[in-house]
Amino acid sequence: MKPDLRVSIGGLELANPVGLASGTFGYGSEYEELVDVDALGALYTKAVTLAPRTGNPVPRIVETPSGMLNSIGLANPGVEAFIAGKLPGLRGRRCAVFVNVAGATEEEYLEVLERIEAAAGTGPRAGVDGYEINLSCPNVKHGGLAFGTDAAQIERLTRALRDRTRRPIVVKLTPNVTDIAGIAKAAEAGGADAISCINTLVGMVIDVGKRRPVLAMGSGGLSGPAIRPVGVACCYRASRAVGIPVIGLGGIMSSGDALQYLLAGARAVQVGTGTFVDPRCAMGVLGGIEEWMRAQGVERIQDIPALLEV
Amino acid sequence: MAVTAAGEPLPGQFLTLRVSPFSDPLLRRPFAFSSYRRASVGRGARAGIVYQLRGGATRLLAELAPGSRVDILAPLGNSFPPPAEGETPILAGGGIGLGPLLFLAAALSEAGGPIAPRLVLGVRSASLLPSIPLPPGAVVCTDDGSSGFRGTPVDWIAANAPEGRVRLYGCGPAPMLVALAALAAARGWGASLSAEQWMACGVGACMGCALPRADGSGYLRACSDGPVFEASEIDWAGGR
Ligand SMILES: Cc1cc2nc3c(=O)[nH]c(=O)nc-3n(C[C@H](O)[C@H](O)[C@H](O)COP(=O)(O)OP(=O)(O)OC[C@H]3O[C@@H](n4cnc5c(N)ncnc54)[C@H](O)[C@@H]3O)c2cc1C
Ligand SMILES: Cc1cc2nc3c(=O)[nH]c(=O)nc-3n(C[C@H](O)[C@H](O)[C@H](O)COP(=O)(O)O)c2cc1C
Ligand code: FES
Repeated sequence: MKPDLRVSIGGLELANPVGLASGTFGYGSEYEELVDVDALGALYTKAVTLAPRTGNPVPRIVETPSGMLNSIGLANPGVEAFIAGKLPGLRGRRCAVFVNVAGATEEEYLEVLERIEAAAGTGPRAGVDGYEINLSCPNVKHGGLAFGTDAAQIERLTRALRDRTRRPIVVKLTPNVTDIAGIAKAAEAGGADAISCINTLVGMVIDVGKRRPVLAMGSGGLSGPAIRPVGVACCYRASRAVGIPVIGLGGIMSSGDALQYLLAGARAVQVGTGTFVDPRCAMGVLGGIEEWMRAQGVERIQDIPALLEV
Repeated sequence: MAVTAAGEPLPGQFLTLRVSPFSDPLLRRPFAFSSYRRASVGRGARAGIVYQLRGGATRLLAELAPGSRVDILAPLGNSFPPPAEGETPILAGGGIGLGPLLFLAAALSEAGGPIAPRLVLGVRSASLLPSIPLPPGAVVCTDDGSSGFRGTPVDWIAANAPEGRVRLYGCGPAPMLVALAALAAARGWGASLSAEQWMACGVGACMGCALPRADGSGYLRACSDGPVFEASEIDWAGGR
């Protein structure tokens, strides 16, 4: 029997639970020759902000034990260039496309979403099937992180976004908080269709010889296998706090890693840094999940969390 | 190394390799092609890199037994442009920047342009000279004078460049690229410099390998806009 890999996010059906994480796959074309994106469940774009952002000073990345730090600084061409230059290419995608939206103020988030809604229209092949709201990027001085850590603000922003689109809204959470369950509940109360967690953890590497941080910005966001246990624990807690689906990510390199998230309560997963290491990582994750379900006799993705024994 | 699939690399292009299936070291490491030989009857295609022991990944690489298989993505990035008519090609390598210039020197010689390329290699001291043959006419420079010219490749070129138009090709540590760019600007020469920057994806998706544009208008990606840039495009001192 072939397991049913479909998952539903706010009424949108994804062909399977494996997606490509925001910021690690551009807008879908960079890895074109290496990865069959359309065989996956979803593509989460690089963040889109209102104005173009050239990004942070360099160096922007450094490797860490089983991970990496980045301080890209939400480099992106801005919403108008996204609509003119990237949206047309996304219209041809067969996998679901979630546009990752970021801003420094509430108004910016709303404006970005409104402009994309207007450009995409309501027909099929709109180029956008849903939004992932990046409340949590630690790289932008004013905004991102402040939003991601304040429950009342998250609820208000989510509700305002909800009023402006019928497409599914995924709210992406930062692990840099004391109570992720409370934050998840706030997003749900504001009308989010799902939650994704986790974004990167704040980290710093210091070059002892030069007596200064390696990254030009000082600190950056930690990703990769090093953060996987944090992500799994966040998913475990968030999925028990809310009724909406939780999408798990952080350090997924293999199907075993993804299954940790699914057993912890996630309905879907995303592969980020894993794609840098092996462009075909997400394909391997998908194949491995299916194989595992077959071997275990599990019929549907949503049946997996109940298999966890605690 | 034996080449099995993918396209043929050009001088300046690079590969990324994953030396270990484990998560430390995690990221793929970029290395420039130093040679390429097409397949012929009874002989598969072969490509080379020249590398220096630096940290975890290069140590693992050095420990690989001959015939081992490694996970490689290639060819990536752009390549060195050919010299314009009448330009003397001078290739300036600092340390491990030698690799792509060996490939370029071989390609230029093979193409048989009117002016033979001249390779100028700089290392700190004679003990650091790579154990590989250099092309005919190559100049060795050492900071401490323990072999060849005492000084840097930039010093040598400034003192010995031929009359007329020159195109500099450079690859090496950031201070050398800064000096090459300044020399080219002062003399009105063209210069194609290969940048080194930390990379995560290597294919243009992550914006991690950014280099500041010379005009302050933003950044270019070392991996997919480069690694080879016209010297005047980049703020070479602002890259790290
Ligand atoms: C386009 C390109 C071409 C390159 N070609 C060559 C080559 O032909 N031969 C060669 O020996 N090296 C080359 N390098 C550098 C090579 O990628 C690094 O030496 C290698 O990644 C070191 O890995 P490691 O784990 O051994 O050392 P690590 O422990 O990772 O690093 C040791 C030190 O090396 C430096 N370093 C590490 N990775 C990079 C990087 N990606 N970019 C810049 N500096 C880095 C850092 O200063 C670090 O502190 C190239 C880099 C780029 C970007
Ligand atoms: C280079 C890089 C850029 C990123 N850019 C974004 C972004 O624009 N928006 C966002 O919501 N998350 C961004 N992220 C976070 C990832 O989507 C993901 O949440 C995080 O890296 C953890 O997953 P991983 O360990 O699988 O990479 C970025 C991560 C990296 C490494
Ligand atoms: S290394 Fe990712 S864009 Fe260059």
